[in-house]
Amino acid sequence: VSVPDPREELRRRYEQRLELLVPAEARELLALPLFAKVPEKARDKVVEKTRKYLHLVPFSPGETVLREGDFSDSAYYVVSGEVEVFLSPRAPGERRPAPHVRGGPQPPRATTEQERRAAAMVGRGRALAGFPVEPTGTAVLGPGEVFGEMGVLSRYPVSATVRARTPARLLRIRLPGLRMLMAAAPEFRRAIDERYRERTLGLHLRRVGILSELSEAEIAALRAKAELLSFAPGELIAKEGTPATSFFLVRGGYVKLSVEVAGSDLAVTYLRAGDFAGESALVLDERWPFTLQAVESVELVRLDGRDFQGFLSRSPQLHARLWRETLARLKARGKAARDPVASAYLQMAIESGLIHGESVLLIDLSTCTRCDDCVRACADTHGGQAVFVREGPRYRNWLIPTSCYQCSDPVCMMDCPTGAITRAVGTLEVTVDASTCIGCSNCANNCPWGNIVMVETGESRPDGRPVEVSSKCDLCAGRPHGPACVRSCPHGSAVRLSFKDLDRVRAALR
Amino acid sequence: LRTLDVFTPKRPRNLVLSLAACALLCAAYAGSRRLAPWSPKHGLGLACGVGAALVFAANAAHPLRHRLMRWVPTAPWLQAHVHLGLVAFAAVLVHSGFAWPDGELGAGLLGLSAWTALSGALGVLLQKWIPARIADGLRVEALYERIPALREGLVAEADARVEGAGEVLLRFYRRELRPLLSRPQPSWAFLFDVRAGREQSLEPLRRTRAFVPPEDRERVEDLVALYTEKLELDAHLSLQRTLRAWVVLHAPAAGVLLGLVAFHVWAWAWY
Repeated sequence: VSVPDPREELRRRYEQRLELLVPAEARELLALPLFAKVPEKARDKVVEKTRKYLHLVPFSPGETVLREGDFSDSAYYVVSGEVEVFLSPRAPGERRPAPHVRGGPQPPRATTEQERRAAAMVGRGRALAGFPVEPTGTAVLGPGEVFGEMGVLSRYPVSATVRARTPARLLRIRLPGLRMLMAAAPEFRRAIDERYRERTLGLHLRRVGILSELSEAEIAALRAKAELLSFAPGELIAKEGTPATSFFLVRGGYVKLSVEVAGSDLAVTYLRAGDFAGESALVLDERWPFTLQAVESVELVRLDGRDFQGFLSRSPQLHARLWRETLARLKARGKAARDPVASAYLQMAIESGLIHGESVLLIDLSTCTRCDDCVRACADTHGGQAVFVREGPRYRNWLIPTSCYQCSDPVCMMDCPTGAITRAVGTLEVTVDASTCIGCSNCANNCPWGNIVMVETGESRPDGRPVEVSSKCDLCAGRPHGPACVRSCPHGSAVRLSFKDLDRVRAALR
Repeated sequence: LRTLDVFTPKRPRNLVLSLAACALLCAAYAGSRRLAPWSPKHGLGLACGVGAALVFAANAAHPLRHRLMRWVPTAPWLQAHVHLGLVAFAAVLVHSGFAWPDGELGAGLLGLSAWTALSGALGVLLQKWIPARIADGLRVEALYERIPALREGLVAEADARVEGAGEVLLRFYRRELRPLLSRPQPSWAFLFDVRAGREQSLEPLRRTRAFVPPEDRERVEDLVALYTEKLELDAHLSLQRTLRAWVVLHAPAAGVLLGLVAFHVWAWAWY
């Protein structure tokens, strides 16, 4: 049995990545049926604008295009050939385990069940385990078909493995290009939306607690009436005090939810993929009790208030359940108004990008003795080179050191030419393989928080320049007891928090 | 109330347990004393001596915590170090029968035990007091090693800011302010008030505002901000240095104590 040479595989991947980074030729793009959907007048301009995000890539039979559980920054359009979609066999009702971070977030204390319930201002989706998919086994996609767009738009891990079935030529469409195409070609957008409506929306709606008991026919009717909307960063979705006529379900992106108190906006919480809002206002027949604003590019599902109420009115059980949830949310609203400090923490998390973090290192400066044990432990674990700096923005008595947040949506992973920066399936830690990192700095430049730095290896290139590799916190991968920084703090001042669990964040940062 | 916070234990249960152990030892001593004349060589006296010696040896391993038992988080190590140290000091007192020993070795052992325990307690208080004061009173956060570089950065920034300024401001800056900006001014006063002396230090600079032309007033405000930052760096320097230096009072004495204990045990076993 011949064992493939790992270096050969690496070279192949590297060459393929380089190929991926070459923008597709404009004339080739114009010949694709995909661009026929763009109005003729705007076609040349759209091609020129999106070209740098579009790459034509050949795949050999059996070659993997997307791998289940990975994060992807691209959708794919089949130009020629066929690809096969594989879904992991799963028993009915079985769910994929949610990815986790090493050592786990370590909140100092949990809130009580009552507090947790009261803080549930909005409907919460399930953990980031993957986009809901029908367990249909395998499917074959041919020319003209698009795949991978749901994962990239929603920032969920890829829900199925896709391999080339025959020699195939695929157009890789990176996220900015996909957004531009969707905006420029209404027909393309409609096609994408229809696919989402057909394949996923029903399952997505079922995840909304109050809708989970509706019959298939009722869900199908809701699905048909749902409107799919996109919002740009900063765009207002609903304004507090205006008539509430919609129910919103978040497909992708982050939505800030705030209330106005004494003339200033207090951030109450934020919504992410799978979360929903608006049903309480509809059932109470009141105006929007809060403002919804897109923090970044947001994809939403909108159900008209009358349709929504119509369905609910047919089921007294659902109605009773909705009332209970509404009461809990009203309590939470009052609590937010009475507790502006908690709101300020949320605002800080939204503004500083901490909401993206799955495991954010924070240091309590009121108990930290600046002994640097955390830095030393980090350096001991990483061959003498610490991968975080005990410096960074400060909020109240909390220091946010320069250390990777392990974002839910790791943009640093985009554009890595050798695939050295990865997130293993089933985990949330993003790691860099130093042996395949070529020091291109793409990840460091892409990290919006400056938490990846380039360090010199001590070697020199032929031209005399120093060889650099990317360095970032990997949550002490390979260390059996989890992140050394937290465990080595003698005063318990260093904590790791996931900003996905806001109740715990509130409890921890108080 | 803030001052009292320093005396609030991080893990109240651990303090309660260690105080209970101390009380138990004292009660056992009182009971034992009634039954027979006290001797550190027998019964409870001997047990307390052996126990204290073992705890001293275990506590001496504290600096090696990162190498020994890496799977144990450091916070429980420190808790054990502090609370076992307290109980060990009580055991030493019981071992000596709450009396000053006659011999020089005994006196040295008891004296060093007391010094080590008190300096340890001082360290605990300082480690609770100083970080809380820094977090409350200072806006700037600085790494101890980088303080000189940060100060140099402030001087460079101030130099750039006064470039092109009028004669009055320039003269004041060169003669008065620059020397203050460029040299560290640590002070014990920061231990009690992290803003100690700030207003007095800034006053001459603020007064200068009245004597400079209107176009230089903004420069004066900037210099006030830079000097305030420098004063905060001074506070950091003083307080972080104290946090690092207090261990000089504790660790060498503890080392000598461990050596004397080893000699004491050897002498007791030999003779």
